[in-house]
Amino acid sequence: MSQDAGLVFLKTWGALYLLAFFIGMTVWTYWPSRKKGLEGASRIPLDNGDKPCR
Amino acid sequence: MTERFFSFLVVIPILALGIAITSFGKDTGYVAHGWIIVAFSIFAVKRLINDWGTAKSEKTLTYNDDVVKIGIIAAVTWAIIGFVAGDILAWQLAIPSLNADTSWSNFGRLRPIHTTCVLFGFAGNALIATSFYVVQRTSKARLAGKTMPWMVMLYYNLFVTLAVTGYPLGITQSREYAEPEWYADLILLVIWIAYLVTYLRTLARRAEPHIYVANWYYLAFIVVIAVLHLVNNLAVPVSISSPQSYSLFSGVQDAMTQWWYGHNSAGFLLTAGFLGMLYYFLPKAADRPIYSYRMSIIGFWGITFLYLWVGSHHLHYTALPEWVQVLGMTMSVVLLVPSWASVFNGLFTLNGAWDKVRTDPAIRFMMVAVLFYGLATFEGSFMALKPVNALSHYTDWTVGHVHAGALGWVAFLTFGAMYKLVPWVWQREEIYSVKLASIHFWVALLGTFIYVGSMWNSGITQSLMWQTYDGDGNFVYAFIDTVIAMKPYYWARAIGGLLFLIGGCLLAFNIYMTVQGPRARAGNAVAVPAE
Repeated sequence: MSQDAGLVFLKTWGALYLLAFFIGMTVWTYWPSRKKGLEGASRIPLDNGDKPCR
Repeated sequence: MTERFFSFLVVIPILALGIAITSFGKDTGYVAHGWIIVAFSIFAVKRLINDWGTAKSEKTLTYNDDVVKIGIIAAVTWAIIGFVAGDILAWQLAIPSLNADTSWSNFGRLRPIHTTCVLFGFAGNALIATSFYVVQRTSKARLAGKTMPWMVMLYYNLFVTLAVTGYPLGITQSREYAEPEWYADLILLVIWIAYLVTYLRTLARRAEPHIYVANWYYLAFIVVIAVLHLVNNLAVPVSISSPQSYSLFSGVQDAMTQWWYGHNSAGFLLTAGFLGMLYYFLPKAADRPIYSYRMSIIGFWGITFLYLWVGSHHLHYTALPEWVQVLGMTMSVVLLVPSWASVFNGLFTLNGAWDKVRTDPAIRFMMVAVLFYGLATFEGSFMALKPVNALSHYTDWTVGHVHAGALGWVAFLTFGAMYKLVPWVWQREEIYSVKLASIHFWVALLGTFIYVGSMWNSGITQSLMWQTYDGDGNFVYAFIDTVIAMKPYYWARAIGGLLFLIGGCLLAFNIYMTVQGPRARAGNAVAVPAE
């Protein structure tokens, strides 16, 4: 693949890939049903039990 | 059995490498390195044999904090050596006769000692130690493996030792921030894979269903550093008898590879890894969850995807194709969005706990670290703009920018985390002296301001003097005029660095006294052995 062909690929499919990934990741993160689970996850460091389960 | 097998798989080839170097090496420094490798490996074999009979006790329900303690001690030790080397360099620039006219003590050989000690010795050990601590707590699982975590810590510090002792003797492949020669690089490669496997195995055995976001950042740091290290150090050794090697790359590809490595080291070692540290230690210390956990996830993917493209902004106005330069510039500007998302996320996490910033030096360190992160990332995006870069590049402004990030963000965050982590892992009530930690904070902050401020001034002065022409288009200033003009700033930098070094010594003393002090009372124990 020449440098020019690489540049065209980056400007088209590469940019679309990044955009699609960003939108998908944002939708996944902010999907309403995930809110409770992720808010719960944010409290993981605050658990004071200093004993491993496994 | 599997872990023992893989541990031997790590140790035996490294031991063989050391023996081969001692046998066939011709250069004195190189042979000395062979002996150092052999000595570390004999220690590792001894550890393996000692662990052999006690392997079953690995499953006891306690966290493995011994290896974390070693990491903390190593980080602080390398920090002091690195700060001393850095300040010597600063004084050499202010007073050139301090180069002492010997090969080993000149600026060119001391400079990589400074950068290796602070980047790999201090920051690297701090990241390995805190990642081992965080992955255990957030997974509610003991660190996987009994021997492998020790191997990681031992051989990682062997790598740093080989690097630092090799530079004064002229053993270097002259790649910035990747100076160690092929044999040290091979050791780091093997041990980094062992680090990744240990981390993944710990996550795989987790009792907590969700993988906390700090682990995402730590994993990005581990995986990307492995890839960067492998590609940037592709080289052909001259022979087993020589420490020298030749890079597979040349010309502009070589320059691009080096800055792809160089800037992503900043991105994934000094940013992603430390964001992992921030997302655990700040909420834990403030006793408040992250302001927006979902924003931290968006920030993670933003940083991971964007950082990999920005290295070319170091090569503006060079032989690198124009579109690659523009790509690097554009991605650098966009990178500001996820970076500042983390800044606001960190600051807003303190909502409701701002009083602790006043009373707790550890939280104050971390809060100021977040501010410096915001400052340095804004400055980085700004400097990546080609017109701004035309002014800033090759000047001391870049040095000021790097140190705003390295001192203000990386070191401040590590200091804050250490003041919390040390009492936790050594099971002490709190740090030996909160007052001393507070003095450390103000001394280090003053040193950072003096350092960064003087470099901003000297950089902009340098550039403006270089770009001043008379009516006929001739330079108004000779190069030596700009060197003379830097003198007050170089003195200021050396004083700022000295203050930072004094602060580092206060930290070391405070940690030493904390470790020497009494254990926490049973009722207040910060860690509970289960069995």
